[in-house]
This record gives sequence, C-alpha cells and structure tokens, in this order.
Amino acid sequence: MKITLEVDVLTNNNRAAAFNRQLFEETNTLVINIMSSPGAGKTTILEKTIETLANEFRIGVIEGDLATEKDADRIRALGAQAVQINTHGGCHLDARMIAAVLPQFDFQHLDILFIENVGNLVCPSGYDLGQQHKVAVLSVPEGNDKIPKYPTMFMRTELVLLNKIDLLPYLDFDVEQAKEDLSCIHPQSKLLPLSAKTGEGMDEWLHWIREGVARCKKQSISQ
Amino acid sequence: MHEMALMGEIVQLIEQDAQMKKIKYVKKVELLVGTLSNVLPDALQFAFDVYKMQANNSLTMDAELIIHIEKAKAVCAICGSQYEPVTKIAQCPTCLLPSGNIVEGETFRILAYEGSLTHENYIGS
Repeated sequence: MKITLEVDVLTNNNRAAAFNRQLFEETNTLVINIMSSPGAGKTTILEKTIETLANEFRIGVIEGDLATEKDADRIRALGAQAVQINTHGGCHLDARMIAAVLPQFDFQHLDILFIENVGNLVCPSGYDLGQQHKVAVLSVPEGNDKIPKYPTMFMRTELVLLNKIDLLPYLDFDVEQAKEDLSCIHPQSKLLPLSAKTGEGMDEWLHWIREGVARCKKQSISQ
Repeated sequence: MHEMALMGEIVQLIEQDAQMKKIKYVKKVELLVGTLSNVLPDALQFAFDVYKMQANNSLTMDAELIIHIEKAKAVCAICGSQYEPVTKIAQCPTCLLPSGNIVEGETFRILAYEGSLTHENYIGS
C-alpha cells in the first residue's frame, strides 16, 4: 500500500527547534548559535567575551564537538556553566541534541546562552536550533574566498565576525572584498573585523550582545 | 556527507508513521529534492543503500528510492521576471543583479512510501 506523507525531511528537528525557541522566549534568554570552520577562533572569542561580560550577565555555553570536553573545560575555567555535546562523528548540532541538554541549565537565572556549533562551514547552517541569532566566524588565515564558496552558511548568518585581524599585515586577506562578497550574498548581514587575541574590535561585538540582551528583557516587560 | 544524517531523518520519519500503521516492511520511498536544497541525489541513494543493510529499520533489501527533482525558480525583486537560477545567489538575467527571491528549488520532502503488513516478496535477512 502507498502512504502519502508529504513532510519536510527536517520535521523532527524543526519541532524540537520550536520547543527550544519557546523556552528561550519565555525565559527571555538571548541565544546565539556560533558557527565557523574548525580553528577560526570560536572558543577564544567566547573566552574573551565571557571574561568581559561575566560581571554583567549570567552566561551559559553549549559546546558541540565530535569528541572530547576540551572546549567545555576552557569555558568552565572562566567560571561559566558549560555543557559539552559530543556528536561522535556527526558533523553538526541538531535541535534535539540541544533540547536534551537544556534541563541542565537554570533558565530563570540565565541571560545569555551561547551555542558553539561543530566546526564546519556546511552542515550546521541547515539546522535550526531554536536560537534567535546565527553568527558566523571567519578568520583571516582562511582567506576571503570563503564567503562566496560557502554561501549557505553566510546567507543565513546575520553577523560575521572576521577574527584574527592582527594577522592582516602578514597575509593576503582582502577585507573590502569580503565585505562586498557578503553584501552580495546577504545584504542585511554585517562583517565585523576583530581580534580575540589583541582585543581590537571586540567592543562592537560586545555592544551587539548587550543590545541583544536588552531586547530580550524589554520583551519581558512589554508582555 | 550530511546526506547520511538526512537519510537518518527520512528513515526515522517513515518508521514513526509505519509503526502507527503497523506496517512492517517498507519497499519504496519517494522524495522531492530541489536543485538548490544542497542535497546530492547520488549521496542520498548511497545513504539509502547503507540504511537498507541495517536491521534496525523496516526498509527491505530490495527497497527502492525514487527521487523527484524540483527545478529552481526565482522571481526578480526589481523587474519581476521569472527565471531558473543556477545558484542560491539568484542573479537576474535581465537586471544582472543578485535580486532574485527563490520561490522553488529548496524543497526537501518525503512525498510517500510504500509498505506492507506482511512478508510478501520480502527478500533479505
């Protein structure tokens, strides 16, 4: 017998993402899904961000990696709560993996949840986790051709952090070309050059986060 | 190879439905795949064959995967013309600007499957 299903392949993921999103909205938590290639500097950016914002906000982190607790340990060393998800070969985090670890966080006492996705410029872009914001990290040594080469990632991220700009004098990265490529693929997106190592450009990123938290809290007052 | 993970989603959705309907053997799966959905039909077929070999689902060893292709269609936000874009950055052939809104070609759906409650024609372990 033939059974007509007519369902999106990502139905189960999207259902879990909707569940996550509702929880984040009800608890006025700012949730940011950070994606990049391996080694672009996601964890270092998070470390520097937490160092500065720890006095202002209560921050939690979900770390996604194929194996090890290395990244979660780096975050825990700063005193923030970190939960590590090991995907055991899986190339991305999905919404069900996130939903499964959410009970470990106390959302009544959390302002920001960062989700550091598995290092990969392809697969993570296709999975909605329920976050309000998707941010990509691109680093100077990767070269400025990555934006047009991986359009599915950069079409879906509203902010691109260009990390390791302290290396610009030594490499051929063309920042203006990267901005132009990004505006072509996703005109509403913004490229933000910074160096997590030297701290240059970090203020604007921190400002963007503070604005995000303020928007979440404002929604709670108006409700 | 994220087609392997996506095929996992497909098998899971079919299993959920088949269990409710008490269907034991799934012999055919029909998908609709857009040319801009970032899914490669060949890789899907490979993943389907891998899942068929596994005992933890209802796919029979001779189960068939039918992939219907959805062509891409974009509408230019400036001049309104309709065209078939080659990439997700849908450049309008008239305006020469990446101004197209993609209206078709990103679909990735399970259309239907065929199954049976009994053992008829079932080959395999």
